[in-house]
Amino acid sequence: MKKHPQLLSLFAFIALIIFVVVPFVPLILSSVSFSWRWPDVLPESWSFRAWEYVLNDGRTWQAVGISLWIALIVTAVNILLALPAANALVRYPVRGRWLFEAIIFAPIIIPPFISVMGIHLTFLRLGLTETVLGVVLAHIAPTLPYMFRAVMISYQTLSADWEDQARMLGARALPRFFHVVLPHLLPGILAGASLSVLISLSQYLITFIIGAGQVVTLPILLFPFVSGGDPGIASAYSLLYAAIAIAALVGMDAALKRYYQLNKAPQDLAKGGKP
Amino acid sequence: MSDLRIIDIEKRYQAVQPKNDASFMLRPVRLSIREGEFFSLLGPSGCGKTTLLKLVAGLLQADGGEIWVGGENLTNVPPESRRFAMVFQQSLLFPHKTIEDNVAFGLKMQKVGKKQRLKAARDMLEQVGLAGFGNRFPDELSGGQQQRVALARALVANPRVLLMDEPFSALDPGLRKEMRELLSRIQKDFRVTVLFVTHDRDEAFALSDRIAVMGDGQLRQVGSARDLYERPETTAVASFLGLRNILSGVLKNSRFASSDGTIETDVTKQLTDGAYFMVIRPEAIKAAEGNQLGHVSVSGIVQELKYGRGMYSLKVNAGNQLLECVVTTTQAEKTAVGEPINLLVDMEEVWFLKE
Amino acid sequence: MWRKSKPYLLLLPAAATIILLFFGGIFDGLLKSFGYFPAIGETELNLAAYDRLLHSASFWESMELTLRVAALSSFLSAVIGALIAVALFFLNESMKTNSPKAWHRLFQLPLTIPHLVAGYIVVLLFTQSGFVSRVLAAFGWIDNITEFPVLVNDPFGWGIILTYAWKEAPFVSLMLYPVLSRIHGSWREVSRVFGAGNWQFIREIVVPAIMPGWAIATFIVFVFTFSAFEVPYLLGVTYPSVLPVYSYQLYTSGTLSDRPEALAVNMILAAITILLGLVAYYFSKRWNVLKGWG
Repeated sequence: MKKHPQLLSLFAFIALIIFVVVPFVPLILSSVSFSWRWPDVLPESWSFRAWEYVLNDGRTWQAVGISLWIALIVTAVNILLALPAANALVRYPVRGRWLFEAIIFAPIIIPPFISVMGIHLTFLRLGLTETVLGVVLAHIAPTLPYMFRAVMISYQTLSADWEDQARMLGARALPRFFHVVLPHLLPGILAGASLSVLISLSQYLITFIIGAGQVVTLPILLFPFVSGGDPGIASAYSLLYAAIAIAALVGMDAALKRYYQLNKAPQDLAKGGKP
Repeated sequence: MSDLRIIDIEKRYQAVQPKNDASFMLRPVRLSIREGEFFSLLGPSGCGKTTLLKLVAGLLQADGGEIWVGGENLTNVPPESRRFAMVFQQSLLFPHKTIEDNVAFGLKMQKVGKKQRLKAARDMLEQVGLAGFGNRFPDELSGGQQQRVALARALVANPRVLLMDEPFSALDPGLRKEMRELLSRIQKDFRVTVLFVTHDRDEAFALSDRIAVMGDGQLRQVGSARDLYERPETTAVASFLGLRNILSGVLKNSRFASSDGTIETDVTKQLTDGAYFMVIRPEAIKAAEGNQLGHVSVSGIVQELKYGRGMYSLKVNAGNQLLECVVTTTQAEKTAVGEPINLLVDMEEVWFLKE
Repeated sequence: MWRKSKPYLLLLPAAATIILLFFGGIFDGLLKSFGYFPAIGETELNLAAYDRLLHSASFWESMELTLRVAALSSFLSAVIGALIAVALFFLNESMKTNSPKAWHRLFQLPLTIPHLVAGYIVVLLFTQSGFVSRVLAAFGWIDNITEFPVLVNDPFGWGIILTYAWKEAPFVSLMLYPVLSRIHGSWREVSRVFGAGNWQFIREIVVPAIMPGWAIATFIVFVFTFSAFEVPYLLGVTYPSVLPVYSYQLYTSGTLSDRPEALAVNMILAAITILLGLVAYYFSKRWNVLKGWG
């Protein structure tokens, strides 16, 4: 091991590449193949017809739009719910803290479709099925715990002294929040938001039950193709879907990095946060 | 006049306890601090001095009592509206704002125009010796510079009272001294009322017009540095101020005898008979022989000899009592640890306490 | 009064939302699993659905399949995840860096891929006419499509297991890697001081250090795969199906009278996941694994 570290790490690297990257090869090939019969390893001829179909179809962009729209609303609601709750649990002595934590973290353990199937008929009666609002409501429980956790960790690194200092400089509740608390929480909020968006984007079953096929998000649009449709189109859709999920994540990450560069800040606030 | 008046302010522990005295975090305090005065709260950690400071600031809710400035009752005014300023132990500069924006923050909260507040900030930075640092970020400054910025930020909005919670305790000793001088100068220039919390006796003595010594959640004694040091009211205050020569004994017919028999002497002060503590400042003892008027002679064995700042401090074992005194270098050279020594105590300078 | 109740008021929106939308749904389902359907005039509570369920062979076959798939998925994820973590560790070692680098992100890629896409990737790779089969044919190891085993939409659940192994292994490595890099510093010193060989070191120090985190990560994968729907729905067979799919089939295919059974399946699933969750929580607290995790 010590004699051939270079060789060993080369081997490790290749193994990792095979595990992570190679699985995407047939997906990519299939999306640009024209006819690809067994036992050809590479397609006989190439074509962008699947991509043309996918990218020119209005339903695709509608689904992308609705998926992102739902994910954004869900995330915004999560931020509004998680901020005060995390503040309360970190800053105040709360009786029955374990109960509140158990309630908020429960959807991580109990699969959300159990709740959604139970509430389905009630939503039907309230006219919430087949609506974006209904789907948003269904997406909140599985995503909120992740946002809550991210914000809570951020709050824990913000000493109350910072807010006291701002008060002593004459800052009322709102300026205090925007000038002191929010800049510190922002990285945590962004981390929570990327998880929230990612999880919302990947919900198939609960979207299908509540949306009843009328709210067509990307997974809903994708499913008929991957479960026995045209492999080319299914592959193109899969790649698009994965790309949007990754883009959402990378975008949040880039926003975070840019924020650090512009304001070089919140890490330091975290560093000096606990005197 | 805008004196700061603290009227019977008190704070109890949050946990509900049986009705006894132990439930007080801070027993009712009554203090009046004159406008422009430098007033220090001095005491060991956990004595309630920071609690009192935060009650004055409004950051803690008092369980009773009132805070007044001049004719205005501030008891129920939230801290952000009291027009007080506060400097904490950490500089707490907002890391995402430049130095200039940090200093101007208080004025921004008062909705002062941008040009005006940035000019005020730059002027203030000049006052604390940081002209030209305005565009930097806090993490580019040293600890001492950061604390100067914190001071500038606190003063720029012209506060009625400046509260300071051990602002220099995180700095190294040399820097601390420099900061004290800066603070002293600026406080006089701006005539700002300062309420200063510290556990450092020298710091309080160097800066303050008056000092309140605190202990066990209450005020022990208020006075000037000299008052406190030369006329402590209790042995607790005396020993906190570093006076270790405290002899218990009995006064009868104008004659005091310490209970361990070390000292027995006539007392000229008018005191009723009873049990007393005799407090002897180290400076009231000199190494000399013979009889001098108004002095009492004590002999003992030198136990420790330590050099410090041009003088030797001496610990002498006299009977069962350890006496601390200071002697000159010449006197110290004549003796050594383990040798007998004769001391004279100036009875004019000793102080008798009931408790 | 305001000061006392303030934290509870701040907690109220989040807690009420979860109680209403999540626990409300579970409670709704619970009532209906007892046959409470006021819409069709059923207002009496009974255990008929549970009774029918526990006496049906298909339920127990579903249970068996679910347990098998979850157990094999979590086992494979654990093994592969540990291998990835160790591989990353050695790569960093040879590159003389300690901090996680950007390319570490690459190996978390499967984590960010939606489940349906991951499932389809496995379809393209492992169907009888899939990519792996073509590569084997190109090497002349198989001559006919039928020589390649049925790994997708198979009754055993291989397709599901492979998907989870691919997707969850990076999660396990993510939980292990920090522990590995923490003991990294003592690596050479210890082996020098005690003259311990690499394998001894691994046995005596590395394995005990990573064991708790490894066990918990594996357990989390188990709980997740036990109750997940999308991948088995795509890659499984109609019969037998894993419990979530079984519940969904009962809920949608049959008549209204099948619904209490579907919801009863859900309640059993919920009870099992709560139990597993509590076990995981208990051990993670005891072993101090999830520091900073909720």
